[in-house]
Amino acid sequence: MSTLLALIAPALQGLAAQLPAQGPQGHNIVGAQIAIGSLFSLHILIAGLVSGAAELGPAIEFLGYVRQRRSYDRLAHGLGRFITYYFSVSSTIAILLITVLLVGFWGHFWTTIVTIGWWPLFIEAWTFVLQVSLAYLWYYTWEPLRAFKGVHMAIGGLLAIASFLQVYMIDVIASYMLTPSNPQNPVRLALNPTSYPLTVHRTVGNLAYIGFAFGGFCAIRYLRAKTAEDKRFYDWAGSFGLLWGVSMTLLQPVVGYSYAKEIQLHSYGSWYKMMFGSLSPVFLWQITLLGIMFLTATLYFARRLRTDQAKGSGILKLLSVGMVLTTLLAAQPYALGFSYETVAAAGLNRPFWEGGLINPLGSMIPWKVLALMFYTLIAIAAVVWYLRGLPGVVWGHARRGEQRILMLMTILTMLMMVTMGFIRENGRGPYLISGEMTIQGQQDVQTTQPTPTPQPTP
Amino acid sequence: MGRRLRAVYDWFDERTAIRSLLRKGLYEAVPVRGAWFYTLGSATLVLILLQLITGIFLTLLFVPSVTEAWQSLNYLKEHDAFGSIVRGIHLWSAYILLFVIGLHMVRTFFSGSYKRPRELIWVTGVGIFVLVLGMAISGAFLPWDQAAYWTAVVVTNIPAYTPFIGSFIRALWRGADTVGPITLSRTFGIHVWLLPAIRFPLIGAHLALLRKHGEFGSYVNYRGAYRSREGVDVPPAPAQRPIEPPYPAAPSDELWAAPLQTEDFYPHQTFKDGVISAALVVVVFVLAVVIGAPLEAIADPATTNYTPVPEWFFLPLDELLVLVPQQLIPLVLVLPTGGVLLLLALPFIDRGPERNPFERPAVMVPGAFAVLFVVILTLLGSGRLFNL
Amino acid sequence: MAHRDPRRLSRRQFGVLGTQVSGAVVAVLLGIPIVGFLLSPLFRQQQAVWRKVGDISGVPDGEPTKFEVAFPQDAWTTAENNLAVYVVKNGDNTKVFSNVCTHMQCPVRWDGSLHQFLCPCHGGLYDINGANVGGPPPKPLPQYVNRIEGTTLFVENRFTEEI
Repeated sequence: MSTLLALIAPALQGLAAQLPAQGPQGHNIVGAQIAIGSLFSLHILIAGLVSGAAELGPAIEFLGYVRQRRSYDRLAHGLGRFITYYFSVSSTIAILLITVLLVGFWGHFWTTIVTIGWWPLFIEAWTFVLQVSLAYLWYYTWEPLRAFKGVHMAIGGLLAIASFLQVYMIDVIASYMLTPSNPQNPVRLALNPTSYPLTVHRTVGNLAYIGFAFGGFCAIRYLRAKTAEDKRFYDWAGSFGLLWGVSMTLLQPVVGYSYAKEIQLHSYGSWYKMMFGSLSPVFLWQITLLGIMFLTATLYFARRLRTDQAKGSGILKLLSVGMVLTTLLAAQPYALGFSYETVAAAGLNRPFWEGGLINPLGSMIPWKVLALMFYTLIAIAAVVWYLRGLPGVVWGHARRGEQRILMLMTILTMLMMVTMGFIRENGRGPYLISGEMTIQGQQDVQTTQPTPTPQPTP
Repeated sequence: MGRRLRAVYDWFDERTAIRSLLRKGLYEAVPVRGAWFYTLGSATLVLILLQLITGIFLTLLFVPSVTEAWQSLNYLKEHDAFGSIVRGIHLWSAYILLFVIGLHMVRTFFSGSYKRPRELIWVTGVGIFVLVLGMAISGAFLPWDQAAYWTAVVVTNIPAYTPFIGSFIRALWRGADTVGPITLSRTFGIHVWLLPAIRFPLIGAHLALLRKHGEFGSYVNYRGAYRSREGVDVPPAPAQRPIEPPYPAAPSDELWAAPLQTEDFYPHQTFKDGVISAALVVVVFVLAVVIGAPLEAIADPATTNYTPVPEWFFLPLDELLVLVPQQLIPLVLVLPTGGVLLLLALPFIDRGPERNPFERPAVMVPGAFAVLFVVILTLLGSGRLFNL
Repeated sequence: MAHRDPRRLSRRQFGVLGTQVSGAVVAVLLGIPIVGFLLSPLFRQQQAVWRKVGDISGVPDGEPTKFEVAFPQDAWTTAENNLAVYVVKNGDNTKVFSNVCTHMQCPVRWDGSLHQFLCPCHGGLYDINGANVGGPPPKPLPQYVNRIEGTTLFVENRFTEEI
C-alpha cells in the first residue's frame, strides 16, 4: 500500500500545484485528497473482491451442481468463506471514509450528494443488509442444506442479485458526479449518460478481479499443499480463476471504449484531460497494462499445457507473440512529450519526421482501436485453444512457473484497479460534480463563516 | 349421428388417405425430456403465421405510395379501431417473434441439435432467421412516417460501404440514388411477396427435415446426459414404442443410443406448444390494444430537428456505428456478415459427436461472447439514446 | 439390320436433351426481362433540375441559415420533395451545404451552442466550413452545385462530389 501511495502522492502533488493557491487551506486539499484516494483505493481493492465473490460464488455452485463436480462446490464454498472473513473489513473502511473523511473534509459535497441521490443510497443500504444476511446464511447452511441444494442455490442467487444491485446503486452516484443529469427525475438520475457503461464495466471488472485474485491465492496454496487431492484442487482452481478472469476482461475493451464515448459526449473537459491532457500518460499506461495482463494470461495458458504435453501449446505460443505485438502497438505514445496538450502548447504537434513530437502510430483512431480489437480477438482465441487442450491436462502436475504467473496476474490486476480509480477521480478534476461543484468550491465553504442557524420567527 | 360422421370420414379417407396422414403427423414420437424448450420452435411458427394473417389483412387497406402510405395508415388509426388493433398485433408480434426466434436459436445451439444428420435443419433455420430479420427491416420502411423514412435512408445506406459494388447495391435497393417512390414500391414487393416466397419453402424444408430425423437432436436425450449423482452412466430404459431410424446419429457414435423416453406428439407436445403459443399471443394482443402501433409525423426529408432512432433489434448495430471510427467503417459490414456466415458454417465447424455443451468449449465460448457482446451493445445503445 | 448408328440419339437421350433445352428457353426468356428490370435503376440517369432557393441577402455572416428547396421526386410521383439547404456566408465566400450526413445520410443540423453541424444519429460533427471534425463521418458535408444570380440562390439536385 505504501508503495502505491508513493506512486500516487507525487502525481497528486503535481495536480494540486495546478490548483490556484487559496490561502492556508491549500495544503489541506492535498492532504484530504491523499487520504481519500488511498482509503478509497483500499476499499475498492477489497470491496471489488467481495462483490465479485458474492456474484461468482453462487454461479460456480450452480455450475457444479449441473456438472456434478465436487471441485466446483469446494471452490464456491471457499469464496463464501472469503466473503464472511472480509466483508466487515471492507465495510469498516467504507464507514470510516464516509463518517470521518467525507463528512469531515467534504461536508458540503456529501450533503449535496445525499440530498440529490438519497434513494440510491437508501436502496444501497438495504442491499448491504441483504448481502450480509445472505452471505452468512449461504456460507453457514452449506452442509445442513446439502440435501436441499435447490434452496441453497436460491440463497446464493439472491446474494448475487443483492450484490449487483449494490454496485449499480453506488455507480448511479459515481456516474452522476461525472455526467450529471436532471436530479429531480429519478429515471434520468439512474440512467444518466455514464451510468450504464460504468455499471457494466464495473460488474464485468469485479467478476474478472475475483477470478484473478483467487487464481493467485490458489497458486500460493498449491505450492504449500501437502496432499495429492489438495494439489489437484488448487491446480485446477488456479487455472479456473485465470480462465474466468481473462474471459471477463476481454469484454472490457468494448465497454471501456463506449464509456469513453459517453464521457466525450457529455463531459468533454474530462475526456480531453484523459486523452490529450495531463492524465493521458496514465491512460497510455493503462492500455499497456491491459496488454501485459493479456500477455501474462496467454503465457500461463501456453505453459500449463506444455507441462502436461497437451495439444495447443504451440498455438498459444504464437498467440503470445501476437499479444506482444499488439501490446507494442497499443503502447505507442501519440505525443513524444508529457502529453499532447504540452506538445501542442510548444507548437510541436507535427510528426516527428517533420521536426515535431507527434508519433502517428500512437493515435487512438485507428491504431489503438485496432489494438483493442486484436486484444479481444487474440484473447478469445487463447481461451478457446486452452479449453480445447484441457482434456490433456492432469491436475496436480503444475510447475512453479505457472504458479508464479498466477501470482503476478493478481498483482497486475490490483495495479489496474488502482490506476483506473486514479484516472476516474482525477479526470473529473477540478470538479467534484462536473460543471456544478468544484473541489475548490467545496473547500471555500469551509473557510467562510459558518452559516447562522435559522432563528424561529417571533 | 356418430355413425353418419364416421361414414363421411371414411368417404374422405378413401379419397385422400387422410387417416394415415393424421396418424403419422399426430402420433409421432417426441422426447419427454426438454419438451418445454421445444415449444420455442412452434411458438416461432405460430408468430410467423400470425404475421402472415395480419399482414394479408393489412394489405386490404394499405397503399404503398409515398403520397398515400401515411394517409392510409393514419386513416386506419383515426377511424378504424379494429384495424388499428390488427396493425398493433402485426407490429408487436414482429417484435416478439424476433425475440422468440433468437431464443430458439440459442436453445438449438446450446443443445447441440445441429449435429449430424441435422445440419440442414440448422442451415435452413439460419436462412429463415435472416429472412425474418429482412421482413422486420423491410416492414419498418412501409408506413413512410419520419421513423420509417429515416430508417429507410440509413438502412439502405449501410451496404454502400461494401467495396466496389457498394453504391450499386444501394441504388438497386433504393431504385434510384435517393430514397423515394421506387424504394417504397420495391420494399413493399420485397416484404409482401419476395421474402415470403423464399421463406415459406425454407420453413417447409425445415419442418420436413425435422420430422424425418425426429426431435432427438438434443444432448439431453442421449445416454451420456443421464449420469447419476455418483457419476455412473444409467443404462437406457427399453424403448417404449418402436422407433424408426435414422435417429440417432451414425451407429459409429458409441456414446449414443436410442432416446430414453418418448410420448405422443398429440396431445402431449401440442398441449405444451399450445400453452406457450397462446400465452405469447395473449401478450401480443394486450400490447396491441394498450400500446398499439405508433405512427409518427409524415416523412419530412428537410427536417433538422428530428432524431432518427433505430428499432430495438437494430440497437447493437447502431451502437457499433457510433463506436467504430471512420477509417474502420467496413467493420460494421464485416461483423454481421461474418456472424451470419459463421452461423451457417457452424455444423461444419463443430463436427464432433459430443453434444453436451460443457464438453464443447471451442464452440460455446465464442458463442457466449457473441451473445454477451450483442447484449452489452444493446444496453449501451439504449443508454446512449436515452441521454441524447 | 439391328445395328444402331452410334451418332443417333437414343429416345431417352432425346427426352433428356429436350427437357433441358425447354427449361433453358423458359429460364432465359423469363430471366432477361426480370434481371434487366431489377438492374434498371443502375442505368437510369437522374434528371438534373435547377430550383430557386430564395433571397440570401439576409443571411448573416458566419451563421448557417436553413432554407428549404423543393426537388422533384423520382419516377412518376408529381408531388415534390422538400430538402434542407444550409447557406453559410463568410465575407464574399458563400457555401451551400446539404444536410445529408456523409456517414449514414441522417439529417444534420446546425448546433449554435457547439458552433458545429451535428448529426444526431451517431454524433458526427462538422465545422462551419463543412469539414468532418468529429465522430464517424468519413467525408465533409456535401455541397450543392449552385449559382447565385444577384442575391437569389439557385441549386441543382446534385452534389459537387458524390457521397
